[in-house]
Amino acid sequence: MTGRYAALVREDRVHGSLYTDPRIFVEEMDRIFRRGWVFLGHESEIAAPGDWVVRPIGLESVILVRDREGRIQVLANRCAHRGNRLCWKERGHDSRFQCIYHGWTFGLDGSLRAVSHKAGFDRDRADMPLDRAGQVGSHRGFIFANMSGDAGPLADHLGVGGRDLIERLCDLSPTGNIHFGAGWIGHRIESNWKMWPESDSDGYHLDFVHASMLRAVPDNYYDETVIGGESKNVSRAIDHGGGVSELDLRPSYRRELAWLGTTRDKIASYCAALEARHGKERADRLLWDGPPHGFIFPNLFLGEGNVARVDPVDVGTVLHVHTALQLEGVDQVLNRRLVRQSEAGLGPASFIVPDDAIIAERMQIGFQGLQPPLNGGDNGPGWIDLSRGRARESRADDGTRVGHVSDETTNRAFWRHYRHVMESRA
Amino acid sequence: MAPLPPCDGEPRVSPLPEPLRREIEDFLYLEARLADESRYEEWEALVADDMQYWVPRGRADYDPADRLSYINDNRARLATRIRQLKTGLRHAQTPPSPMRRMVSNIEILAVDHEAGVYTVGSNFVLYELAVQAGAALRVWPGRVTHRLRRVEGRLRMSRKVVELVTAEAPQWNMAFLI
Repeated sequence: MTGRYAALVREDRVHGSLYTDPRIFVEEMDRIFRRGWVFLGHESEIAAPGDWVVRPIGLESVILVRDREGRIQVLANRCAHRGNRLCWKERGHDSRFQCIYHGWTFGLDGSLRAVSHKAGFDRDRADMPLDRAGQVGSHRGFIFANMSGDAGPLADHLGVGGRDLIERLCDLSPTGNIHFGAGWIGHRIESNWKMWPESDSDGYHLDFVHASMLRAVPDNYYDETVIGGESKNVSRAIDHGGGVSELDLRPSYRRELAWLGTTRDKIASYCAALEARHGKERADRLLWDGPPHGFIFPNLFLGEGNVARVDPVDVGTVLHVHTALQLEGVDQVLNRRLVRQSEAGLGPASFIVPDDAIIAERMQIGFQGLQPPLNGGDNGPGWIDLSRGRARESRADDGTRVGHVSDETTNRAFWRHYRHVMESRA
Repeated sequence: MAPLPPCDGEPRVSPLPEPLRREIEDFLYLEARLADESRYEEWEALVADDMQYWVPRGRADYDPADRLSYINDNRARLATRIRQLKTGLRHAQTPPSPMRRMVSNIEILAVDHEAGVYTVGSNFVLYELAVQAGAALRVWPGRVTHRLRRVEGRLRMSRKVVELVTAEAPQWNMAFLI
């Protein structure tokens, strides 16, 4: 099998069968979503011992729970006895998990605590905990896990680039902490999941796909950041390595707080609190820069004021699930503004992503029936061109590649890492 | 007319005079048909200045100011929504989805005769053909609560809350008027 993905994923093109071949999807669920780090949620969602939420890791359902000692546990949502689903609501607060099939009871740490009618049970309870993620880690409250336990340190997975993206987001809070209290909105799309790391980090499509939004919302800031002509636009597309990509809009902002659509005098207490934490220079910088726009492999989108997961369902279906950035230690008026912005941008009835969804669904239709090229050659139908900007992107000593915001540098960043993961975990 | 059962703690309402009830029902059917046919301007003409258009994520039992909803439009944002649809470039509704919805189980939930304000509950099932990509037939069942207000003699809606049966689950593109 070695070499199969190298044949389908080239430096400047990828093959359309990658989006439609169900065998590839099965391998992705193992190599990427079971054996690699996956973003699950945020510590603020399980603030107190006993708080839990249900999340997917690939196709598996897991319970994200804070145990009695305050540790984060990621447990298979499946009774260790006969496999019945333990939690069927989205979230809750409990002191234990009881299976309603035969009444087995598990602690918040996943240990088997009690078996009903125990006289007939002759196994050792200690041998029968819930299945669990092999590794769990968090960075500034963002929780990641992997089931296999051999994915290496989380810090390596995120890399300098990924950690920096998360830190720039959290530093916008006067306490350094953000929370996910605005809830999640799910958007179901008939496309392969990989179209979302691509679309979410694509700086080339705005003036076509989102033309209707740009006309209907005249006071948006996209003209100065991602449209506005190739020559005058100074936003950048960045490949940080390791599947971490960024559209760096900062160089294009022409005023501070453009990202929030407001001015300093209207949110004076926030600005003062930020300055008290970070000092004037850094606070001024943050108010100018705003939240980053980046993607962390394989499923975490930091979309300016939004945080989104990409949850695969099957080879042709994906959930794009998002929440709004919420800052700790600010006036609720500011967080409410962020909720309204999020509703405008992401979700099934928003002004932006439904148009991306249609493009993804049409691409998915376009790729139906494609077969991988014979003999690993790059001729034949069904190739997707991702060459834009290769000649003009720069490469730093640490491997970071930087291109124009409209270049496919970010898409190549995803695919280069995808190929590495799919080949190295073959 | 038999007395209405209490609903969600709303006060019991005395039966309305038949012409008024007829007028309210006609409004609901017209609003539904204009939405079905993507007649954006005519639909918007039914909207009062203080409109709230709310499609909650789950039941309508939370404050939408603090939590995300599928839609939580005030009048200005609803105008933006209509403006976007009318550009002809809203790919998620280009072409507009063929749609038909059945409206039934109409109940008058609250009446303020003096102010001319009526709160009306109804059930609906909307059939949408998502022609923009795969042409799937999608079914959107739910319950609407309208707040209607008399403005210069005509009924207008000042609130439309749409509680989808599927409101807890991820939703397909919902770029039409629901």
